[in-house]
Amino acid sequence: MNGIAFALVALGIGVVVVRRRSIAVGLVTAQALLLAAAAFGEETSFDAAVAAAALVLRGVVLATLFLFLVRRTRETRPVRAGVAPLARAAAAVGLALTLIWLMPPLGLDSEAAERATLTLVAIGLVTAATRRATLFQVLGIVLVENGLALAALSLPGTSSLAIEIGVAVDLLLIALVAGVFHERIFAEFGAGDTAALRSLRDN
Amino acid sequence: MTTREWLATAVLVTPLAGIVAAAVAPHALLSRVEIVISCLSAIAAAALAVVALAEPAHRELGRWIVVDPAGGLLIGVIGAVGLASALVSPQFLTARRGSLFRADRADRIYWATLFAFWAVLLAVPLAGNLGAAWLAIEATTAASALLVGFSGRPRALEAGWKYLILTSLGLGVALLGILVLQAAAGGGGLETLTWRGLPHASLDRETTVVAYVLLLAGLAAKIGWAPVHNWLPDAHSEAPAPVSALLSAALLPAVLLVAWRSQQALAPTIGEGTAGGVLVGFGLVSLGVAVPFLWRAQAWKRLLAYSSLEHMGVIALGIGFGGPLALAGVAIHIAGHAVAKALGFYAATPLLAHDPRAAGHSVGGIGRTEPTLGASLGISLGALAGLPPSPLFVSEVLIVAGGFQVGRPWAASAAAILLALGFLGLAHALIDTVIGRPRGRDRHPALGLRPVAALTAVAVPLLLALTAAALWLPDSAIVQGLVRGLG
Repeated sequence: MNGIAFALVALGIGVVVVRRRSIAVGLVTAQALLLAAAAFGEETSFDAAVAAAALVLRGVVLATLFLFLVRRTRETRPVRAGVAPLARAAAAVGLALTLIWLMPPLGLDSEAAERATLTLVAIGLVTAATRRATLFQVLGIVLVENGLALAALSLPGTSSLAIEIGVAVDLLLIALVAGVFHERIFAEFGAGDTAALRSLRDN
Repeated sequence: MTTREWLATAVLVTPLAGIVAAAVAPHALLSRVEIVISCLSAIAAAALAVVALAEPAHRELGRWIVVDPAGGLLIGVIGAVGLASALVSPQFLTARRGSLFRADRADRIYWATLFAFWAVLLAVPLAGNLGAAWLAIEATTAASALLVGFSGRPRALEAGWKYLILTSLGLGVALLGILVLQAAAGGGGLETLTWRGLPHASLDRETTVVAYVLLLAGLAAKIGWAPVHNWLPDAHSEAPAPVSALLSAALLPAVLLVAWRSQQALAPTIGEGTAGGVLVGFGLVSLGVAVPFLWRAQAWKRLLAYSSLEHMGVIALGIGFGGPLALAGVAIHIAGHAVAKALGFYAATPLLAHDPRAAGHSVGGIGRTEPTLGASLGISLGALAGLPPSPLFVSEVLIVAGGFQVGRPWAASAAAILLALGFLGLAHALIDTVIGRPRGRDRHPALGLRPVAALTAVAVPLLLALTAAALWLPDSAIVQGLVRGLG
């Protein structure tokens, strides 16, 4: 699990710093597939197989949806983030270290899984907060959910399969609705840029 | 299956017929079919609410479904507000200009998402475990975000986007809290997360405190508690009026119920003082943040949105105090706020037709130019301000008295001062809106006023009945049931 936790965090940091949307989609999809591999590798029970299948399905459906959106909303140049890549990475690492320092042991199977969970949550929050591109903000939510999926896989004893599948379905619904908004924002402003939305404020 | 389980199943399934009807009903009959289905859904909800409140000592505590007095109260509120929103929706759809969706599909998508939102909203108080409650809350985000951005206007897109991203991130934090809780219980699957199981689970105190804070901080983003309320004013003011009513009068208290149940379920582990203290903190901060905005001249729906922030703070205080007086106040406050706030949002449709400036500016003298509309606005705002004989006046007195009753005099005193300041702000807005100097010269006929006038005629006796009920409620079996919780 330690190796997978490290790889998940490395992929997450990649999402924080990359400029191109398609590369970021590839990175979060790789995370989902790694999580599925971890679910299947842990044990060979029916529940583990279903959890792994749900993670694979979630990852593939999200990747298809996001790449479809990227294709339909081609931008002449990537939306500039308000914060430089290194500063974003530093903010993510800083928030992750703060969370790890503040939180008592969470009771997961391994310390590495606990730290990776908190780091992925921090990376997701920083991505959503510092990126202006709409698609990157949604990827921030997916990063948080990937961290939570890692925590669910690292719970001692059994976890509820129905809840895990429900979480995956909810995430797909959120991504679908975000896709509708992303397309409309692109059509309205010529870019999936949340800075254009903020310029509407008058108070 | 028991009668309660049958009724709960009917409550969950009936609105789904509205989604099917949105897809297959002939366009000319669409609104009528949907209103018939909404009546059936509301009847099922009312029946379950009556059963749950008539026998508060008898509770149904399953793994997936819970029926108790608090849930019954919320089911009644969500059913009634959902029905009223469906009744005023045809007026909104007739008056709408443009949409997020293709014109020929927009009405069908509106009805389908409205019923989907209503269905998952009804599932929140009935969810028998924390995990299922989280799933239902997250599902409300997907449906309601589409409705918030339904008009397709740039500001509505911003409001819907902000709502979607902020509440999803918040709910991610809440899910982390749930996972920490499950880890603290040593796994154990779904049974550890049931409302009946949590109070008896053997949990490590320190870890459970962390889980509780994460859970409440995450839910706060959805309830609209300060300081994570940023989406609330935009979403409430940009959503279609029937949806704003559902968001404010039904969604916020339904999510608050999950926070309440979490407090009751985890208090045996972390202590009553800690569990209630976090809620009191959220309540006071929300009140403190809301009051300055209630003093500012605001557009009508934005004013109602900041009033939601204030009232969710009041309810948080009542739950945090937790004694019989405060919980009686909470029950009356949830019901009274739902009636008054929903009426205020429904009145926004004829108000915007009468004075289009109301979309972005405060309005004045509506009672002089359109007395019926002025009466609806005045009754809504008067009740929300807590002007006697509003039930919200009695409920706020009960909640503040409840704070003193349970030994939190400083918090109760601070709440009383903030409530008085909030009252002054809303009272000023009330006078200005109804009998003040009319602003703007282009006033038009208030289209869609008839259903709002009818709802006002229903709302007035309902509000007075709630005020009367508040006098006997503290000693009633219902409040004993609320105090007992699900443990």
